[in-house]
Amino acid sequence: MLNYIFRRLLALIPVLLIVSLTIFLLIHLVPGDPAAAMLGENATQEQIDALHTAMGLDLPLPLQYLRWMGRLLRGDLGTSYFMKGTVNEILRDHMVPTLQQTAVAVAFAALVGVPLGMIAAVHRGRAADRLISGFSTVGVSMPSFLMGLGLVLLFSVKLRLLPSSGYKEIAVAGWRTHMRYMLLPGIALGFIEMGLIIRMTRSAVLEILSADYMRMARSKGVSRVRLFLKHALKNALIGILTVVGLSFISCLGGAAVTETIFNIPGIGKLTLNAVMRRDYEVVQAVVLVVSLLNVVCTLILDLFFAMIDPRIRLQ
Amino acid sequence: MGEKILEVHNLTTRFATERGEVTAVQGISFHVDRGEILGLVGESGCGKSVTSQSILRLYDERRDVRYEGEIRFEGRNLLALPEKKMRSVRGGEIAMVFQDSLSSLDPLFTCADQIMESILIHRKISRAKARAEAVEMLRLVGIPDPEKRADQYPHELSGGMRQRVMIACALSCRPKLLIADEPTTALDVTIQAQIMELIRDLNEKLNMGVILITHDLAVVSEMCTRVAVMYLGQIVEEADVVTLFEHPLHPYTQGLLRSIPTVKGGKREELSVIEGTVPPLDRIPEGCRFRPRCPNASPLCSGQMPGLKPVGEGHRVRCFLCGGEEKEARS
Ligand SMILES: Nc1ncnc2c1ncn2[C@@H]1O[C@H](COP(=O)(O)OP(=O)(O)OP(=O)(O)O)[C@@H](O)[C@H]1O
Ligand SMILES: [Mg+2]
Repeated sequence: MLNYIFRRLLALIPVLLIVSLTIFLLIHLVPGDPAAAMLGENATQEQIDALHTAMGLDLPLPLQYLRWMGRLLRGDLGTSYFMKGTVNEILRDHMVPTLQQTAVAVAFAALVGVPLGMIAAVHRGRAADRLISGFSTVGVSMPSFLMGLGLVLLFSVKLRLLPSSGYKEIAVAGWRTHMRYMLLPGIALGFIEMGLIIRMTRSAVLEILSADYMRMARSKGVSRVRLFLKHALKNALIGILTVVGLSFISCLGGAAVTETIFNIPGIGKLTLNAVMRRDYEVVQAVVLVVSLLNVVCTLILDLFFAMIDPRIRLQ
Repeated sequence: MGEKILEVHNLTTRFATERGEVTAVQGISFHVDRGEILGLVGESGCGKSVTSQSILRLYDERRDVRYEGEIRFEGRNLLALPEKKMRSVRGGEIAMVFQDSLSSLDPLFTCADQIMESILIHRKISRAKARAEAVEMLRLVGIPDPEKRADQYPHELSGGMRQRVMIACALSCRPKLLIADEPTTALDVTIQAQIMELIRDLNEKLNMGVILITHDLAVVSEMCTRVAVMYLGQIVEEADVVTLFEHPLHPYTQGLLRSIPTVKGGKREELSVIEGTVPPLDRIPEGCRFRPRCPNASPLCSGQMPGLKPVGEGHRVRCFLCGGEEKEARS
């Protein structure tokens, strides 16, 4: 197992290099000039050039990349061209609401999706299965902005149960208030993922229910309940957790929409603004951090899978 | 004759499928004596596995399957047993070994775990004791270094080893009947012989009845005391092994026997195969089910289904023509 972990960590190095290089190139090769944007329409060419030099944008690209990497390795994400504070601070402030929202979304998607998927699989072909499968199709095809607006209309405007938008920090407003604000955006964000999780759980469990080892276990006298809890769930876990992990990543990416609808100061809105203004440092940092989260999430899942499945440890 | 431990009477197994109900096994009757090895043979798709899995009621009764008839095991009708009682029969009194050992063992549990599972279900003993027994079972089925193997996972073992582990699982609670459904088809010839040897050995040692399902007649001739030949969900002939091999009556049995390669007088005999294939269950022929493929078929055969008639001591056959001849010869 330790051996496996070590190999996995080692394999991360080239991945991270490629990720950083891709991000850097994508951003620097896309047309647009942050200096020109900063100085406004009336700036002279001299002013722009001077700012380029100050920002290091006149250097050849490889050198810019190396400087960026050098800073990254020291944990310094740079400074925004437009916003106050270092990118580290900006990112931290905006990351928190997004992560909180994503956590609510994934929790909702998994807590609803996994049990429903299992119920559908166990009742394959019956009314319950059809109902749940229909529900998951609706979930998968519902865009999150529509879902968000629908939720607001129902829970805020009509029932007046939950606030329609805004963000309250836990430290300032407390858990309850924080959650009241997070619930609707979280559900809107997680709804598509819930649909996907239902589907994947259903097919993972279905496949395992008809596996030969299930029949073998039954022939040994294992009860249906134990059969499901011990053999089916453990075997289905890998498939299910893979989708849940993926849903975490895509929620991070999809947060921009719900953050806009619900007016949450998260990473999605930050990125939108930064892209508009060609705020390279911020955009680079955001994409990098999200990719890192992605890599870490995958790594954690893989290590977990290796823990439950002996065949993975061997590879 | 020994004491019958399993008696199947008129067992019919029907499956609900998307295209309607199909009858995979149609009114079969046979018995197994204590300590004997009964061979169940027939081409692929003739219902051998369905028969064996019906005995343990492994199909989903709430959804897929409908059984009729009677399966008497030590006096009880298994088909009428409540699920809870049935569970104690499964693995405890009747155990089963399946064809594919790689897919039949749960990949996420060690060998010891899987053997202990049955032990812990059927016997009130501690985990430590159960583990010791599991290791002992591994030794019994001839696995070298059982202490080490016990903690390995199925994918770490060879096919023959895995099959032995599956047999160890099956035998761990000393069942009175073992159903082995093509236990060696996935293995190479030497390993196949070893596994068969093992089954016969344990059959003698534990005085356990065995239903051996196979389509290898050579194996049957070496292992079994009696044989039932199945075709398309029915038993077409049943006899002790000597009679069946020396005086096969049903044309299907004769065809099967002719398809065994033999070398006589240094000359290889021409291999014959039975014409045609087993039809699917939704196109079962009228009258005798074997008629479309039968070399001796007469008009009589298409009108009515022949019954399984006794033609001699423990010899039954389902054919108008052979049964008739026998009768004529007698009268
Ligand atoms: N669960 C099921 N639902 C519907 N039909 C089934 C089911 N299981 C088996 N059958 C059908 O029953 C028939 C007999 O199948 P069975 O598996 O018993 O054959 P077999 O004699 O064991 O063949 P083989 O030698 O290939 O194992 C086949 O036509 C098969 O399609
Ligand atoms: Mg079979």
